[in-house]
Amino acid sequence: MSDERIVKSTCCNCHGGCGVLITVKDGVIKGIEGNPQSTTRGTMCAKGLASIQETNNPNRLRHPLKRVGARGEDKWVQIGWDEALDTIANRIKESSAQFGPNSVVTGQGTGRGYNLFTLRLASTIGTGNMMGPAHVCYLPRLMVYTISVGARLMPDFHGWGGDFPKTIVAWGRQTEITNSENEMAVWFLDALAKAKNLIIVDPKTTRLTSRANLWLQLRPGTDAALALGMMNVIINEGLYDKEFVADWTHGFEKLRDRVQDYPPEKVAEITWVPKEKIIKAARMLATDSPTAFNVGQALEASNNCTQNNRAMVCLMAITGNIERPGSMVNWMLTEAGQLEDFGREIKITPEARDGMAGGDKFKLGVMGRFSNPDTIFRKLREDDPGRARVMHLHGTNPLLAYADTKAILAGLLKLDFLSVADLYMSPTARYADIVLPVAHWLESDGVWDEHGLFHFSAMVKAVEPPGEARSTYWIYNELGRRIDPKYWFDTVEQVFDYFIRRSGLTWEEFKKIGFLKKTGKEQKYYKYKTDYWRKGGGFRTATGKVELYSTTMEKYGYDPLPHYLEPNESPYSTPELYKQYPLILSASLRTPYYFLSQYRQIPWLRERHPDPTVLIHPETAGAMGIENEDWVWIENQRGRVKQKAKFFAGLDPRVVMAQQAWWYPERNNEESLLESNINVLTTSDLPPDPATGATTFRALLCKVYKVEEAANG
Amino acid sequence: MDKKAIFFDKSKCVGCQACIIACKIKHHASPHPVAPPEGDPKGLSPINVHEYGPVIKGDRVFMYYQPLACMHCQDAPCLQACPETAIYRDEETDVVLVDRERCIGCKFCLWACPYGAPHFDDQGKMVKCDMCVDRLRQGKPTACEAVCVASAIMVRAPEEIAKIQAGKAADRVMKEIPD
Repeated sequence: MSDERIVKSTCCNCHGGCGVLITVKDGVIKGIEGNPQSTTRGTMCAKGLASIQETNNPNRLRHPLKRVGARGEDKWVQIGWDEALDTIANRIKESSAQFGPNSVVTGQGTGRGYNLFTLRLASTIGTGNMMGPAHVCYLPRLMVYTISVGARLMPDFHGWGGDFPKTIVAWGRQTEITNSENEMAVWFLDALAKAKNLIIVDPKTTRLTSRANLWLQLRPGTDAALALGMMNVIINEGLYDKEFVADWTHGFEKLRDRVQDYPPEKVAEITWVPKEKIIKAARMLATDSPTAFNVGQALEASNNCTQNNRAMVCLMAITGNIERPGSMVNWMLTEAGQLEDFGREIKITPEARDGMAGGDKFKLGVMGRFSNPDTIFRKLREDDPGRARVMHLHGTNPLLAYADTKAILAGLLKLDFLSVADLYMSPTARYADIVLPVAHWLESDGVWDEHGLFHFSAMVKAVEPPGEARSTYWIYNELGRRIDPKYWFDTVEQVFDYFIRRSGLTWEEFKKIGFLKKTGKEQKYYKYKTDYWRKGGGFRTATGKVELYSTTMEKYGYDPLPHYLEPNESPYSTPELYKQYPLILSASLRTPYYFLSQYRQIPWLRERHPDPTVLIHPETAGAMGIENEDWVWIENQRGRVKQKAKFFAGLDPRVVMAQQAWWYPERNNEESLLESNINVLTTSDLPPDPATGATTFRALLCKVYKVEEAANG
Repeated sequence: MDKKAIFFDKSKCVGCQACIIACKIKHHASPHPVAPPEGDPKGLSPINVHEYGPVIKGDRVFMYYQPLACMHCQDAPCLQACPETAIYRDEETDVVLVDRERCIGCKFCLWACPYGAPHFDDQGKMVKCDMCVDRLRQGKPTACEAVCVASAIMVRAPEEIAKIQAGKAADRVMKEIPD
């Protein structure tokens, strides 16, 4: 027991932020377990626990690297941090001077607590082009809540207002195995144990379907139609919350007229969900309330993204499930306030606003301060004079995450300069000019405030990073200082002090406490009945009410009422193509072991799921001579990739689901990048969602056939 | 300390398999070095989660995840089978344990076990669930129970498990009362 100590920290292997206890002995991590005293009560997932295999992972980047061969040739020379950071900062400044600040892109992947740093860096540079997968992940929902309700909503699984949900609707979301907006599996499953009803809306059976009262197996991409059909039933049967609708909503009559276009019979045809089930679910969620809607990213990765989410908000509102205990609630923040200010306090310049890629089209995307990645890469490919020249990416893999991998690669290769900061030599990092080694969360101090909820916590360094790897926060601060020191700090500790200044604590003090939270009776419900959002009561929207008819959408020229839009490619929108590619492809299958492109190089996780997997109904497979665990080609007009077929009876036989973002760390090269990565089959060439620029990932067409060894070469 | 039994609730398990990783971490620390940087990077899984389904019958969906580890049988066949008396019962907790020094890796225990619980490490020695007996002695839950988001794993005195299960059965009756 020479040197054994326990470090209290926060897991950052997804958006969640579980409290963890790390056992460290002689500078080596001996154990990771959940912290029973944290809000997540000691529970964790496989991904977070397997972090223990990241600190000593032989694949980790250890030194800053400079490219010496051709791009993507994977030939490097080790350089010092000063040279690396000076080079990146100088390239950014030169590009700003020569082509304007919008020629510089700062990019990141999914939010891991440093969104605000990426944004602050973008604002320091003066570029409008902060890039992330936000157009298909969380931002659309946030923007729709903002314009419709004036506040972000979360399902209330906590019962702090005296009631837990009576009905839970899990719509395109599996909180039991994945975390998408900081509502944790343990809270969700506790609330589920208390709930009377569970309604699952998902094209496949989930891990909870056997416990559900109702499973609505919809055709991928038809979410808005289903929600509108439910509203048709609820309104026409008079089951809506008449008091809430009369006092606190705007545009009910118009919505009532709109839903007449979606009678259950018609919706059943569109969605493939039997009419009786639509009616039953509508009645259940409207009358057996409070109802919490656990809505997932499936609704966002769609050409009807905004309207899918608008339909959900309208469904919540007309059933009175906003700000009622056990329904959809806006959480009050801790005394430290909105930490996201750190990213937003440097005002965007008019030049940056005008230069946001896709900003002229995707008005809700602009509101969220993210530019559109598909537009950035398209401009690169087309040699547009306003294209990006210099790109700095942190923790992101555009080659795996965005639609049309080959097109993204063509765009990346057009850049004058690319720098990538990551834990590993990722498929994207391979094409960089400079690669920066990042410290893992077990090796970093930090403040975890993902998506700004009712608690935030300290990430406390447990061990030294490998080699010269440095923390995300240090890298951003050092880059920022080199570009414009007035917005940045002398030390990372000063960054954290500033960050949490309103709490009255210093970083050193906060680190000892470990977290701040606002829970239990401190959380107030029915805030619209008080002065909280608006003097005299109301919501923080243009009309002061929940906008069923959106005045913001109207102002921007979008449909102010929710509507259904058929996927770009489907049996109904492209019947000829469907003859050639007779299966609906949902290209975003999740597992409990990987977070998008992460963790393929973690032995304990890879062991659980060694190969990319496409779920296929046994009848469909049988008709094509495919056996369980056969390698199959998934093919459409854009290309083909191979994954392993897994028989899965919980799918409609007309639908297959392929795992996303697959790569092979053990043979990381251009060939393997295209081998199983399903984004070879997705595209940004078809019309995206008009308000957010969202691309369709979950409703395409394909065919599937067995990989013949000879043909495979 | 009470005598302990382990209970896996398939009606609650969501198959996230965090228990497997938690178990690997616990048994990496001591006594079996199976995690990086040294040893077999994969290591053994004294606990496993078995997946069934989905099977669809009309409107009903059947899909289960069944965690399974050593059941610490009262009349343990492995204990009977071991020619070196390496397998023994901890008097205090009723947990069936293996004396690593005595184990010769003959695998008779594997032949005898009805649950496939014995695994063999890179030195051929038997490894199985030890119910985190050191944690139990410190008053802590087992690694697998502590980490479970679904409350699907319980390590308690057998009477206590019986009481909790009986309570759940009674709750089902209560649910039949209309609102």
